[in-house]
Amino acid sequence: MSVRTSSAQDGAPTHSTTSRPGRRRTVVTILVLFAVIAVFLVRLVDIQVVQADSLTKDSVGNRSVGQVVYGSRGEIVDENGVVLAGTVMRYNITMSPTNAKVFKRTVDGKRVDVSVADAAAEIGAVTGQTGDAILLTISNALEANAEANFAYIAQKVDVDVLRAVQDLHIPWTYSENSPSRVYPNGAVAGNILGFLSGEGVPQAGLESGQDACLASTNGKETYEKGADGVRIPGSSVTKTEAVDGGDVVTTINYDLQWFVQQTLAARAQETGAAWANAVVQDAKTGKLLAVADYPSVDPNDVGATKNPDDRGSRAFTQSFEPGSTFKALTAASVLDAGVATLDTGIVAPFRYLPSNGANINDSHSHPDQNMTLTGVLIDSSNTGMSIFGEMLTDQQRYDYMKAFGVGTATETGFPREDGGILHPVDEWDNQTSYATMFGQGLTTSALQVASIYQTIANDGVRMPVTLVEGCRQADGTMTNVPATVGSQVLSEQAANETSDVLEMVYQKSWVSSKWNIPGYRVAAKTGTAQMPDGHGGYSNGYLVSVSGFAPADDPQYVVSVSIADPVKLNTSAAPAPVFQEVMSQVLKKYRAVPSGASAPDLPSTW
Amino acid sequence: MSDNLARVSFEAEPTQVETSVYRPFRIVSSAPSRRTRPRIFYALTAVAGMAAIIVAQLLLSVGISQGAYEIAGLQSSQSTLARTAASVTEDLAKVSSPQSLAANAEGLGLVTNSNPVYLRLSDGAVLGAPASASGSQAGAASLVPNALLAGSPVLSQLSSDAAAKSAGTVAITSAPVVPAGLAAPTTR
Repeated sequence: MSVRTSSAQDGAPTHSTTSRPGRRRTVVTILVLFAVIAVFLVRLVDIQVVQADSLTKDSVGNRSVGQVVYGSRGEIVDENGVVLAGTVMRYNITMSPTNAKVFKRTVDGKRVDVSVADAAAEIGAVTGQTGDAILLTISNALEANAEANFAYIAQKVDVDVLRAVQDLHIPWTYSENSPSRVYPNGAVAGNILGFLSGEGVPQAGLESGQDACLASTNGKETYEKGADGVRIPGSSVTKTEAVDGGDVVTTINYDLQWFVQQTLAARAQETGAAWANAVVQDAKTGKLLAVADYPSVDPNDVGATKNPDDRGSRAFTQSFEPGSTFKALTAASVLDAGVATLDTGIVAPFRYLPSNGANINDSHSHPDQNMTLTGVLIDSSNTGMSIFGEMLTDQQRYDYMKAFGVGTATETGFPREDGGILHPVDEWDNQTSYATMFGQGLTTSALQVASIYQTIANDGVRMPVTLVEGCRQADGTMTNVPATVGSQVLSEQAANETSDVLEMVYQKSWVSSKWNIPGYRVAAKTGTAQMPDGHGGYSNGYLVSVSGFAPADDPQYVVSVSIADPVKLNTSAAPAPVFQEVMSQVLKKYRAVPSGASAPDLPSTW
Repeated sequence: MSDNLARVSFEAEPTQVETSVYRPFRIVSSAPSRRTRPRIFYALTAVAGMAAIIVAQLLLSVGISQGAYEIAGLQSSQSTLARTAASVTEDLAKVSSPQSLAANAEGLGLVTNSNPVYLRLSDGAVLGAPASASGSQAGAASLVPNALLAGSPVLSQLSSDAAAKSAGTVAITSAPVVPAGLAAPTTR
């Protein structure tokens, strides 16, 4: 510009020497030139300075493409790293209804027209819809908005369907990524894992409880591309990195979990149970190896489980009156406090009327019996247990219960875990004072029952109940590792004596033929508790259970089975075979060495 | 420039300064004849240089674009392969699920035995009561559903028999080769 201006000025004197009209013309030319230049200048400043930011933004917007970089939600894995819940990429097939028109396709070298109806039928054949359904989607979208440029044909389809649709080369169809959750083992541990909503919001179980570990953050990538979609070399790329979620490492063994679920479900269906659960716990570490629930949920298809209550884990979230399995706790407390020994004899009547006005019955009529603690547990005598239990004060027994973890949710951190009900001593009435000795008048979750037996099995040391080993970060470090320090609840001697008593129960109980595991020494106890009717009284239903551990000479595994209201067989003969099969499987799976020494023989009468 | 010393000298002899200002300029004659040839030479050099730069830049840009297309092509095939890998990994996880394994094992006629029996090597004692497998799980439909397995084929004994028949024509011609370095197991 400056060049042009100077040449115009240089030109002026040469013209001025010619004539007057010539000089005027020159002046006019110069003025016009200046005016034009001024216009250009103003425009230049306007574009380069005044509107610069917005124009740059527009131009980048036209060239650049923003892409979401999906962070991957962490996996939930079992004790050996087998994936129980993982993230996979699914795809949504979308279309532009307003552009859904006839297009040309080359078939065998000839150009043929493909109508919208034909194309819809082709898509439908791949996605499992009818062509009419897709046409209806198109017409509905256009009815709502004649310019409609977006509608879903199918959501969350896998890569095979996506490729089949892409191979149709229909110009008005598109696809988008849609990360999804998949549970390769179906309902195995589905009760514990939980599930996500369609929008990816955690709804239950570990998915919800461990969301802080699992959650990922999506990133974004922006780059510039040409008309053919290829990235322009050297164009600016802005990138926000996606952050993947951490992996939740559980203590569950998926193989065992499947076996327990299958065995439990078979027995629960056979006996017509309302619900049932089974817990397998490592006696030395407190780790949960399997927590099975019936009925359960397949997180891949949550809708198939109609009752919302069946979509979680009752083992964690529903406490119940445990019944006679709780007698092991009372017996251990009595032995630990030293108020009775294994040789102490009592007389157990059919009906016991203590001085405080309570009224205790046994389940079946019998004459007065001379029993030891062992005999009381073998016969599961309520009156006998009451006579032993009242050797301790209510407060003493309450303290033992608290130490065993009754009335407090366990350490698993499972969402909505039920800690059970254990009222303070001053709220106990006369009947409750005795009922709490044999597992009525208080509630425990299946986990807490297992934990009581774990304490007895582990020389009196209660270990924290563990379901999650921690959150494994991308660099392999584990965070949120739970505490592994146990607490001494019983003396080692009291624990071992209780274990011996329970071993006698295993050998002499009326269900002993149903839970016999040849080659191993086992300690176990049955329970049959009346279930509340929900109106403050008891219903006709029973919660039948078996809890125990093996091998009794060096306890390694605790198994606790509870079956609620098995209408076809409402005794502990219902859970006993489940206990037998599950315990056999556990011992076989973990190669527990068969017991060498023979079981102790304790007197049950005197 | 405006120091005191200079000012003193101006005030002392102002006339001398004025005469030196009016000294006439002389136009220095140029030597066009001498510079003509080098100018053409320089122009040619410059033009050739520019041409070379333009050609080089064109080639470079073609190269870079070619690279961009190659990258785009490779990235697209990478994402295709990654999708295939994810898809087959998913299939593998699906068929390794316990439900699938159990259904296929039972389809092939296997039964489970939940009655472990052990042989203690120290004294040859048999721990447990040996009994034929009751097949506690056998025959029972899977009670642990897996929606992912819908439509997956389950092996059956029949199909395996058929497979065995068709495979029967392949005769085993030689004994299995035992690596020379491997010592025979000694039983004590």
